[in-house]
Amino acid sequence: MEWRAGTDIGGTFTDIAYIDHEGFLFTEKVPSTPENYGRGVVEGLEGLAEKQALDLSELREMAHGCTVATNAILEGKGAKTALLTTAGFRDVLELRRIRVPRLYEPLYVKPSPLAPRNLRFEISERVGADGSVVTPLNEDDVVAAADEIRKSGAEAVAVCFLHSYRYPDHERRAGEILRALLPDLFITLSIDVLPQIREYERTSTTVINAYVGPPVRRYVEGMVGDLKKSGMNADIAIMQSSGGTVGAGSVLEKPAQIIECGPAAGVVGAAYLCEQLGIDSAITFDMGGTTAKGSLIESNQMIYAENYEVGASMSTAGTIAGGAGYALNLPVIDISEVGAGGGSIVRIDRAGAIKIGPESAGAVPGPACYGAGGTKPTVTDANVVIGFLNQEGLAGGSVPIDASLSTRAIEEVVAKPLNLDPVKAAYGVHEVANATMVRALKAVTTYRGRDPRDFAIIAFGGNGGVHGAGMARSLEVKRVIVPAAAGVFSAVGLLVAKRSVTVVGAFAATVKTLDEGAVAPVRETLEDQAAGLLNVVKDDVDFEYALDMRYVGQAFELSIPVPDQGISSDTASQLREAFEDEHERRFGHRFDDGNDVEVVALKVTATARTGAAPARLRANKKTSAPVTRNVYFGENFGFRETPVIGRGDLSDEPRQGPFIVEEYEGTTVVPPDATAHLDQLDNIVIDLEYA
Amino acid sequence: MKDDTTIRQSTDPFLLEVLKNAFDTIAEEITLTIIRTAYSQIVRDSLDFSTALCDAEGRTLAQGVCTPMHLGSFHDALLNMVREIGDDIHEDDYYIMNDPYAAAGQHLPDIYVVKPVFVEGKLKGWSTTLAHHSDVGGIVAGSNALGATEIWQEGLRLPVLKLVDKGKRNETLWKIIGLNVRTPDLVYGDLQAQMAACATGAKGMQKLYHRYGEDVIDQAIEDLNDYTRRLAEAEISDIPNGVYRFTDHIDGIGDDPEPIILNVAVTVEDNRIIVDWDGSSAQIEGGVNSTFPFTKACAYAALRSVMRADIPNCHGFTDTVEVLAPEGTVVRPVSPGPCGARGITGYRMIDCLFGALSQAVPDRVTADGSGGSTLPTISGVSNGKPYIFCETAMGTWGAGAANDGQEGVPHIGANQSNVPVEMIEAAYPLRIERYGFVTDSGGPGKHRGGLAIERNYQVLSDIALLNVRSDKRAYPPHGLFGGDDGAPSMNVLVSDEGERVLPVLLSEPVRMNKNDVFRHQMPSGGGYGNAYERDPEDVLNDVILGKVSVDGAKRDYKVVIVSTDDGYAVDTIKTAEIRAA
Repeated sequence: MEWRAGTDIGGTFTDIAYIDHEGFLFTEKVPSTPENYGRGVVEGLEGLAEKQALDLSELREMAHGCTVATNAILEGKGAKTALLTTAGFRDVLELRRIRVPRLYEPLYVKPSPLAPRNLRFEISERVGADGSVVTPLNEDDVVAAADEIRKSGAEAVAVCFLHSYRYPDHERRAGEILRALLPDLFITLSIDVLPQIREYERTSTTVINAYVGPPVRRYVEGMVGDLKKSGMNADIAIMQSSGGTVGAGSVLEKPAQIIECGPAAGVVGAAYLCEQLGIDSAITFDMGGTTAKGSLIESNQMIYAENYEVGASMSTAGTIAGGAGYALNLPVIDISEVGAGGGSIVRIDRAGAIKIGPESAGAVPGPACYGAGGTKPTVTDANVVIGFLNQEGLAGGSVPIDASLSTRAIEEVVAKPLNLDPVKAAYGVHEVANATMVRALKAVTTYRGRDPRDFAIIAFGGNGGVHGAGMARSLEVKRVIVPAAAGVFSAVGLLVAKRSVTVVGAFAATVKTLDEGAVAPVRETLEDQAAGLLNVVKDDVDFEYALDMRYVGQAFELSIPVPDQGISSDTASQLREAFEDEHERRFGHRFDDGNDVEVVALKVTATARTGAAPARLRANKKTSAPVTRNVYFGENFGFRETPVIGRGDLSDEPRQGPFIVEEYEGTTVVPPDATAHLDQLDNIVIDLEYA
Repeated sequence: MKDDTTIRQSTDPFLLEVLKNAFDTIAEEITLTIIRTAYSQIVRDSLDFSTALCDAEGRTLAQGVCTPMHLGSFHDALLNMVREIGDDIHEDDYYIMNDPYAAAGQHLPDIYVVKPVFVEGKLKGWSTTLAHHSDVGGIVAGSNALGATEIWQEGLRLPVLKLVDKGKRNETLWKIIGLNVRTPDLVYGDLQAQMAACATGAKGMQKLYHRYGEDVIDQAIEDLNDYTRRLAEAEISDIPNGVYRFTDHIDGIGDDPEPIILNVAVTVEDNRIIVDWDGSSAQIEGGVNSTFPFTKACAYAALRSVMRADIPNCHGFTDTVEVLAPEGTVVRPVSPGPCGARGITGYRMIDCLFGALSQAVPDRVTADGSGGSTLPTISGVSNGKPYIFCETAMGTWGAGAANDGQEGVPHIGANQSNVPVEMIEAAYPLRIERYGFVTDSGGPGKHRGGLAIERNYQVLSDIALLNVRSDKRAYPPHGLFGGDDGAPSMNVLVSDEGERVLPVLLSEPVRMNKNDVFRHQMPSGGGYGNAYERDPEDVLNDVILGKVSVDGAKRDYKVVIVSTDDGYAVDTIKTAEIRAA
């Protein structure tokens, strides 16, 4: 019997998910093996195959999420990368957009450019803003640069010339010369990666593509080899930051597309749940060991980031100013992130305020309760002290802990200095963690003009169920959904993701002059390109189209979906209307009719019809012997003797809190002022009561 | 009435942290509402605005993170406002003001829009915004004329007025504003954005009061100020006591400039700081005078920048700092002193304060940098249509105790962005010929100052007018602790007739013809420590990167670099020889 698996590599664990033919979900968690991630994946698959009596040689597809591209950038271990630019502009990459992510910091140090200045070569050529050639390409310059690049030992070359989105010939020709002279190097052109105006963003995106190209290639080839050695001939589909998967071969053409794919997979899983449950919108809350992440699903669509930067975690000023990471203008699901998770360290500052994170105890030594030498209290320690987490072992008892170490750490660092009882201090820490993390959810709701009370929260990640109800309370959200296998939910997301790619082509027109004839050739090229990337014939692909539009003279664009009737002079006014509606929704106003609206790009999203998402998902839920423990729910409720149950002990009848659901993949806390039941997909649904 | 013991009883520290987060989040929401709804580029893209949530007395609880040199700029304006309006405050009022003299404001383009926050009939706070508007009238477009000699030339002056009175728009005022500005659509749009933002903040604060109750929030406000003050005091007590003096200059305005002196004494006394500007130039007949609220805000921003703790942007911080300046000076002008272009003085005050603070906390400031936006402005007519191009051009920093100067960064006072070359060329009859670093320009030092940035503009329309306000040619960016000064700024007009050097701060625009090039080299950053102590490997790396030439390495650092088969190498023997000589 053929089968599929989702494998998600994280810093500490590799998560495996498998859904059987009845829709039952099985998971496996093995330690990650950073020296060669393939080994961990193979071990996990073997473990799963043994338990579920599956034949490894019949594994048809492995949907994969990995950190290789992100880590290459975060750790500065990408390829030695060269860059060709228009003469006069080699410093654009290093100058960036000037703005810095942190205020009041004279000692701030910028991230170093991914292509060093001595490997940035200026080529004599110049194109005007209208696409006319001002200075022809000097091919000798390209040849000379190729010579220098060969000598430097660089592995990858990016090419980005000014206004190439209006006139690509110079870049194309430079690419031909480079490929002929440097056949072994990874060579990438800005017009193939991001054919859009704004030289810094285009250059940066192209350089990232070059920088991660060689390591991603080595990784993918290594993974294929490791699977083969163990008797697996599965196709590898890799998650992209846009939320669709794509075959390994296509990843090698645009490797920058798989940055941040792990967090994206979780949101894809949540979107799948929404579809299955018949709800069209939700907030996702993904809380792991070091970060809390938020995203939004609205009208069954995931939201995409504008001005995304790799390696920029959310900081207050950074959200607004940007500049903390490397600009990557490819479709990336908008996920906001706050540096607070279970492993985040708790401290008291010199004026007596409680601070959480961003320092983390990591996997080693981990929270104090691990007994591995950590003495600083973490959020997890606080959750152990108040009884939200099991006081003998985590992960369904598989990781034994010593709760007294948690108590001691909280006592020393928090309770004593504040002259408080350790349990109350621990509860305070839990609440401050909620207040810190709530920003990640506000960033995708109130900051975007959305009212969180209109949404349910889908909580996942190892700690999502522990803090989900508290987060909902701070946002006045009424419902929290904790899916089955919440702790390995990204792996589940991989299994339900669709094969899908988005490609963009520069296309300049005003709405007034828009017609089918002008669009058709660009559209067809993009359709072919997308189908090629999916490795599927065009007939088996669903296409969706969007136009990037703006008011003439405006510095930013909005993506407007093309109506089903397509583009024609008839639908032009409809498109203009849709653009202006969206403008008003996002920015609170529209301009008078005097302002022309122009189109700058066509986006084509192609989704393979041969989807593999299971029709239905069911938890392999367990019941539990009746036990209780004493849990502290804050001043209003005090200590409560609280039943600890399994997911299988719940039914579709609401059960009044307090109670705690403990599973291998995570813990779900239902407070006294809430009820919970199981829905048709075996999700735990917590409903909060409000006065 | 509460008795003393309840008032002193402080908020549970956990709740205080939760509420501090909540205040910050409301200030962020006010900020993001402006960004989402503003019309003008200067507000939306340059982030030249500020927001704050204040208590009933006008003390700041949280301030949005937009323009650092606006830190603490709401208190004076609100104190004055509350004094002016007395009890005539209502739930659906919006107030407006801008005048630096009549309304304790900043300069005329910075318009305040504020809204009272009522909870169950009681005034509990103010939701406040301050935005730099694209134009408020006056003798030049943009209302920041260097050449203005009195404030009446600078545009529309607004005392404290009601923009909306009990929910009803003051149509008279809206009409007066519309007729007095060059860009009424942008100004109206940005005012509405400010109102929407105020409403967002008010709603957020009301929600907080409803959720936690009046007593809890009132108490938390006191405790937050108290906490912030204690944190700032703890930071200040780490700074050695003493009086730290520094003098800096603005080159001066026009063809034969007279230097403008900024003289500061920073006194650190245990847990307090006094900033005294005595000895600075008398107020100028030109738009660079910095009104006192702005002078104070710049001092807060500079001091906040040398503190290591993450101090909340609330009033308690400003309680620890006292700013003094004699009336009638360039840092505390009296009416009718013009102040439209006071930004440059603000940048220089921060530079000057860092100069003074380098003596107290040498490892927490850098040598001097390029000094803030130079605002190159090119206007003309193209295909019968007028155009005005203006951008915030920045910037590079001096070196510090641990690092070389950063390159491609804004001034610490205003976190602004450049405009993409491709966007400029698509929208204006201009071509950018070069945008990049100038080799050998960084101030030499053990740590090297950031390189100067050059940005060259070619005009493609028939005629154009150029304006620019660079500085630091006569007084280049200072080095620290033996580090050399940075390179001065240079503005050159290149035409058929050859090259002409332009004054640093133009008192009136310069004419450009088609194909003329404006070569704009901003100042670089100063060095930190003796250049001859710079690690030869660091010099080698600079040579490899083309930031220092082989000649420059020898001249400025006494390091001999030789070419080899695979690049460059340090000639260690010769280097030791010339360094010993």
